[in-house]
Amino acid sequence: MTEGVSFVSVRRCAEAIAEACALGMKYLPLIWSGLWRKPGRTILIFLQVAVAFALFGVLQGLKTGVAHAVSTARADLLIVHSRLSSLAQPLPRGLLEQIRTVPGVKIAIPVELTGGTYQKPDQGMGIVAVSPDGDWQNAFTYTIAPAYLAAFRKSRTAMLVKDLVAEKYGWKIGDHIPLQLPAVVQQNGSADWAFDVVGTFTDSDIGGGRYIVIVNYPYFDEARLAKKGTVNHFNVAVSDPKLAVQVADAIDARFVNSSHETKTESLRELAQQSMQQIGDFDFLIRAVVGAVLVALLFATTTMMVQSMHERIPELAVVKTLGFTDRAVFLLILAEALAVFVTGAVCGLLLATLALPIAARFVPGLSMPGSVVALGLALGILVALVSASIPAALAARLRVASALAGHRAA
Amino acid sequence: MNSFRQFTALLSMSLSGVRQRLGSVLTIIIGVTSAVAVLVSMLAMGSGARRQVLAGVREDRVVVNTHGAGIQSTIPRDQADTVRDLPGIKKGADGKPVVDFQSIVIIEARRRITARRTFFPVIGVTRPPFADAQSDLHLTEGRAFRPGLHEIIASTPCDRQLTDFAIGDKRPIGSADWTVVGHYDEGDVQQCVVLADAEILMSTFNNNSYTQATATLKSVADYPVLQRALEQNPTLHLEVRHEAEAREEGISSLNGLLNFAAYFVGSIMAIGATLGAVNSLYSIVDARRREIATLRAIGFGSAPVAASILCESILLALPGALLGVLLAWALFHRMAVSPFGFSFLLDVTPRLAVIGVLWALGMGLIGGLLPALRAARVPVTTALRAT
Repeated sequence: MTEGVSFVSVRRCAEAIAEACALGMKYLPLIWSGLWRKPGRTILIFLQVAVAFALFGVLQGLKTGVAHAVSTARADLLIVHSRLSSLAQPLPRGLLEQIRTVPGVKIAIPVELTGGTYQKPDQGMGIVAVSPDGDWQNAFTYTIAPAYLAAFRKSRTAMLVKDLVAEKYGWKIGDHIPLQLPAVVQQNGSADWAFDVVGTFTDSDIGGGRYIVIVNYPYFDEARLAKKGTVNHFNVAVSDPKLAVQVADAIDARFVNSSHETKTESLRELAQQSMQQIGDFDFLIRAVVGAVLVALLFATTTMMVQSMHERIPELAVVKTLGFTDRAVFLLILAEALAVFVTGAVCGLLLATLALPIAARFVPGLSMPGSVVALGLALGILVALVSASIPAALAARLRVASALAGHRAA
Repeated sequence: MNSFRQFTALLSMSLSGVRQRLGSVLTIIIGVTSAVAVLVSMLAMGSGARRQVLAGVREDRVVVNTHGAGIQSTIPRDQADTVRDLPGIKKGADGKPVVDFQSIVIIEARRRITARRTFFPVIGVTRPPFADAQSDLHLTEGRAFRPGLHEIIASTPCDRQLTDFAIGDKRPIGSADWTVVGHYDEGDVQQCVVLADAEILMSTFNNNSYTQATATLKSVADYPVLQRALEQNPTLHLEVRHEAEAREEGISSLNGLLNFAAYFVGSIMAIGATLGAVNSLYSIVDARRREIATLRAIGFGSAPVAASILCESILLALPGALLGVLLAWALFHRMAVSPFGFSFLLDVTPRLAVIGVLWALGMGLIGGLLPALRAARVPVTTALRAT
C-alpha cells in the first residue's frame, strides 16, 4: 500500500519535473527575464548558494576523502611492532632473521623512527632509518627513482628526502645537511648529526607524515650511544596480499611467550583505526552542514516571498494572458532551480579548486562524484522547498484583485 | 548635534517598522545566529583542550626533559641525583628536593561502547601521588599503589570510557599483570591517565631511563637559577621549562588544527550570512524608498540616513550573535568529545562569547555598508514620483 502511494508520488514528481523542463525550454526567455528583474538580488542569492555549497563540498570531501584513503591503503604491507606498547617500545633487530623465515614473507626491513630538527627547534621532521637490503623500497609506500636508490645504498651517511622537505628548505642533491636529533645522542655525546642528500622521494601514504627523511639504519645504529641494536618496528611485504592476515598471525605466533611478543597489522588496518578517530568528527560535520542549509533555506525563502509580492502585478498580467495556475507555479520553481543549480555547481567547483590548498592542512581530501551528486540533489531539494511557498502564493493569485494592486488572498 | 538628532529619529523609526519586515529581519538574525553558533562551538574545542591540559598547572613547577624529543625524551637513571641536586629546587618536609621523575609508557586499550582501539599513558612516578598537600589529585575509590608491587591507580575517566578498569581488575602492561587498586580524579580532566611506581614500571620494560622530571621551585624567581645551572652542566642534555609551557607544547598542533578549522568554517559561514544580510537590507531599503525620499525632502541629511541603516544592520546582527553564543553554550558547553583519541570537555568561555559578538558586529557592519550607501543616494524627486 505504502509502496503504491510512494510510487504514485514519485511518478507525479517525475511528471512535474519533466513538465517543468519542457516549460523551461519553451519559456526560457520568460524565466531569464524573471531572474534578471532585480540583478543584485539574484546575484546575491546565487553567491549565497555558491558559498553554502563550497563549504558543503569541502566538509563532505574531508569525510569521503578519508574513507577513500583507507580503501586504497595497502593491505599487503605489514607493520610488526611490540605488543607491549605500539608506540616507542623498541624491539631487538635480531627478530629479523626469524621474521624472514615465516612463509609468505617476501621482504622484511628493520625500521627505526625518531624526530629531528633543522636549524630551528620548530623546523621538525620525522627521521626514518632503514636497512637498504635488496628491494627494501617495495616494503614501503615510497616511490624512489632507481638512481637515488643506488646512491642511497652506496653511502653510509646518505639521506633521501621527501619532495616536500626538499622544497621547503631548498635542499639539493650533494648538500651536506646538519640535523639535530634531540633523542639520539652520538658516541661523542653530541646530538648534532649530518647527512648527505642523495635523492628525493614521494609517499603515497597520506598518514605517513608531511616532512620525513630516510637515513641508513646500520650507520645510524653504529653511531648512536644508547638503544643499540633495537628498532621501532619491521616493515614486511607479503608475497600474496590475500595471505596478509595469515602471515601476520604466523609472525605473531612465532614470538608468543617470548620476551618480545609482537603485534602485526597491515597498513590498511592502521589506516582504518586512524579513520575511526576522525570519525568522531562526523557529528560535527553533519551539524555544520545542517546549520548552513537551514540558514540558506530561510534566507532564500524570505527573499523569494518578498520578490513574489513585488511581482504581483506582472504575474497577474501573465495569468490574464492565459497561463494556468500550474504553469505559474512551475515558472517560479524553474527560476529558483536555475539559480540554485548554477549556484551549487559553482560552489562545488570552488570547493574542488580549494581542495589542494586545504589538503596541505588536512591530508587526504578528495571530491568523488558521489559528493557532487549529493550536493546537486541537496541544491535541487532546497530550491524546491524554498520556492514552493512563493510559487503556491503566485499560483493562488486572483487575477482581478491582483490587477487592482491588492496582495494575494 | 542636529544630524545626531536626525540619526536617532531615523533609527527609532526604522526599528519601529521591524514587525512589518519580519521575514527580512529574521533572515539576518538566523544567518548570523548559525554562523556565530558554529564558530563559537568549534572554537570551544580548542579552548576545552587547552583548559584540560593546563588544569592544575602551577607557576612554581617546572618540567625537565630532552627538549623537542617528546615521548622519546630520556633522563638516564644515573643522572637523576645530579638533577635532584640542581640549585633553585625546593626542599620538602623530609628535607629532600621536591623532584618527581616520571617514566611514561603508552598502552593500548579498548573503548567500552564502540570497542575501538585507543591509547592511554601509564606514568611511573617516584614520589607518592597524594603526598603533596596542594595536589589536585583526589582518591575517589580504593587505595594508592604500593611501591614495588605491580599495582596501578587509574583516573576516573579510564573506568568510564575503557574496559577492564574496575577496582581489582588485572591488566597486562609490559610483561606483567597489574592490579587496579584505586581510582582518582583531577578536576574535570577527561583523559585516562594511569599512575604506577616508576621503578617497577621501568623494570617491567627493561628501561633504564626516566622520560622526564617535574620539580617544584623554591620560588618563581628561581627559574633562571635552575636554567643557568642546567645550561652550564656539560653532562646533562636537558632543558627546563615552565609546566604550562611544556604542557601547551604537547597540544599545540592539535589546537592549531582545531582553531584553523573553526575559523575556516566560521569565515565561510560568515560570508554566507553577510550576503543574506545585504540582500535583506537592500529589500528593506527598497521597501522604504518613498519614506526615505520624503524624509530627505523635508530636510534630513543623507549621512544620518546612511548611518541609521548601518546602525540598524548592526543592531539586527546583535540578537543573532547573542542567540548564537547561547545556542553554542546550551548545546555544547561541557560536552565530552575525543578527537584523535584525546578526550576533553568543550568549553564555551566568556572570551569566545566576545569573539562571537565581534564576529557578528563585523557581519552587520560589512552587510550594512552597501545598502546604507544606496539609501543615502535615493534620488528624492524620482522616488517621490514613483508609485
